[in-house]
Amino acid sequence: MRWAVLAALAIGLLLLALYPLVATGYGIRFMLQLFMWVALAQSWNLISGLTGYVSFGHVAFFGTGAYAGAILVTTHGWHWGPASLAGGVAAVILALIIGYPCLRLKGPYFAIAMLGLNEVMRVLVSYFEGLTGGGSGLSLPTLHASGQIYYAMGAAALAVTGAAHLLITSRVGLRFMTIREDEIAAEAMGINTERYKLYAFLLSAFVPGVVGGFFARDQGYIEPISVFPLLTTITMIVMVLFGGKGTIWGPVLGAVTLFVFQELVWARFLYLHQIFFGAIIVFVVLLMPRGILGVLQERYRLPRTI
Amino acid sequence: MGVTITPTMVGQVVISGLLAGALYSMVALGLALIYGVMRVINIAHGTLLMLGAYTTFWWFRLLGINPYLSLLVALPLMFFVGMLLQRTLVARVVDAPELSSLLLTFGISIALVNVAQLTFTSDVRSVEFLTGAFLVGPFAVSKSRLVAFAVAVAITAIAFWFLQKTKLGKAIRATSQSSEVAMVCGINVHRIHLYAFGIASALASAGGSLVAVMVAIQPEMGQVYTFKSFLVIVLGGAGNYPGALLGGMLLGLVEQLASLFLTTQLSEAVAYVLLVLVLLLRPTGLLGGRAT
Repeated sequence: MRWAVLAALAIGLLLLALYPLVATGYGIRFMLQLFMWVALAQSWNLISGLTGYVSFGHVAFFGTGAYAGAILVTTHGWHWGPASLAGGVAAVILALIIGYPCLRLKGPYFAIAMLGLNEVMRVLVSYFEGLTGGGSGLSLPTLHASGQIYYAMGAAALAVTGAAHLLITSRVGLRFMTIREDEIAAEAMGINTERYKLYAFLLSAFVPGVVGGFFARDQGYIEPISVFPLLTTITMIVMVLFGGKGTIWGPVLGAVTLFVFQELVWARFLYLHQIFFGAIIVFVVLLMPRGILGVLQERYRLPRTI
Repeated sequence: MGVTITPTMVGQVVISGLLAGALYSMVALGLALIYGVMRVINIAHGTLLMLGAYTTFWWFRLLGINPYLSLLVALPLMFFVGMLLQRTLVARVVDAPELSSLLLTFGISIALVNVAQLTFTSDVRSVEFLTGAFLVGPFAVSKSRLVAFAVAVAITAIAFWFLQKTKLGKAIRATSQSSEVAMVCGINVHRIHLYAFGIASALASAGGSLVAVMVAIQPEMGQVYTFKSFLVIVLGGAGNYPGALLGGMLLGLVEQLASLFLTTQLSEAVAYVLLVLVLLLRPTGLLGGRAT
């Protein structure tokens, strides 16, 4: 069974790796965005799914990474690869500044601090025009790199899913989940909750920053509205809740289902689409708190660690 | 900056700050009430404010009557909308981990904002009423802001009188001190939750009605108010109702002072810096609240 699963995974990865050889331009871009959503959803899962601290502003890390990456590429002539990694580091630094005060307290403080963070980042980015181009945005030099970005995004999605796997099956992950279930009990058991919450948060900020850098390179042009939209945070949250928070494959399942659905049906009805997202959140919280994967786990007695 | 700051400017800023602060206090009192009795942070609080603003806008656009009279309709209407939300949705997650209530009210907020986008469109709208300012000595006081201040103070005073003097108000305070003990004393806690959510929605919508006359409105206006209301209750101490008043005034003053030294754009970020600082230095709020 275990070998069958591993073999299936390996074949799946191989097919995805070979896909650009046969794909059309649209196909590559579709998959590249799908990978991006898997990476973003999975990152949100690391903090909110595992420790139970809801981040309402995760797109702030995406936007920070996008700007840091784009600035390094345009004004310092970096290659987009290392520039995007630096974007991830920038996102982690931001997470440290916000997380240190807010994670010392429980629940809502963190959630609302994150709700405001995105707005503040947008304001700051618009304000420091010399560095960021302000409201008129930032154009990156032309470069056709869709193929490379496809692999980069794929690697990011794979890395963060791998990280989720490592965490959920390890002691560190158990500590995260103990914080989610009962923070006081966790502390009583000798877990330094402040420190572990911060670890989870920093981990969850890195990949969105990196992916933001890839996104900036892929789009070739970024502006405050395009990399700090509230909708991106909403989408991450809906994907994770729908698929099953706190699991390894739930965010992947949610991202794939909702992204495909979104591309095929909803892109034409923006507001209806968002009403539908709001309704999914309400529905999942009230009736299916563990998401689709949670329902499957219960019905088919699947292991906790999937 | 090269700009000299005169005493007149400071006076002007203090006046504007207090005028804005009264409104913040009133709106934040609603959020504090819900948090006090249920330990739920209502992410949809600003969304309810937005609905109040649109009630006033349409009242004025369609009927052409004094927009302040719309308060008489908007308040009872939003009181019932709030009770309905509590009854059908929020009541189910009151005892669940706070993750559930945060996500639930977030979902409600997204759905309502986009229903508003769909029905009212995302156009920026304004109520053209009571424009201009009074000149008092060297100070200019915007008429609509002055009325907003007076109405907000009046409504907040009524709310406090209600909390202090009436039986229901005492029951609400008792519930926020301890749900279990309140229950033992024969208070129907679920009904208290219902009323608290209704009152909170009415307070938010009153804020919306007043804001609609002051500035242009659009469906996404609410999020900022959710954030600021939360900041106010953090400043005052979560679950501490008089603290919400102090916190609101303080936020108004700080924002206006910041606009004196910084550009308007940057002063939007000041509220945020304030939140992070308070959380770092005095997490239980200025008046001290129930610790998290």
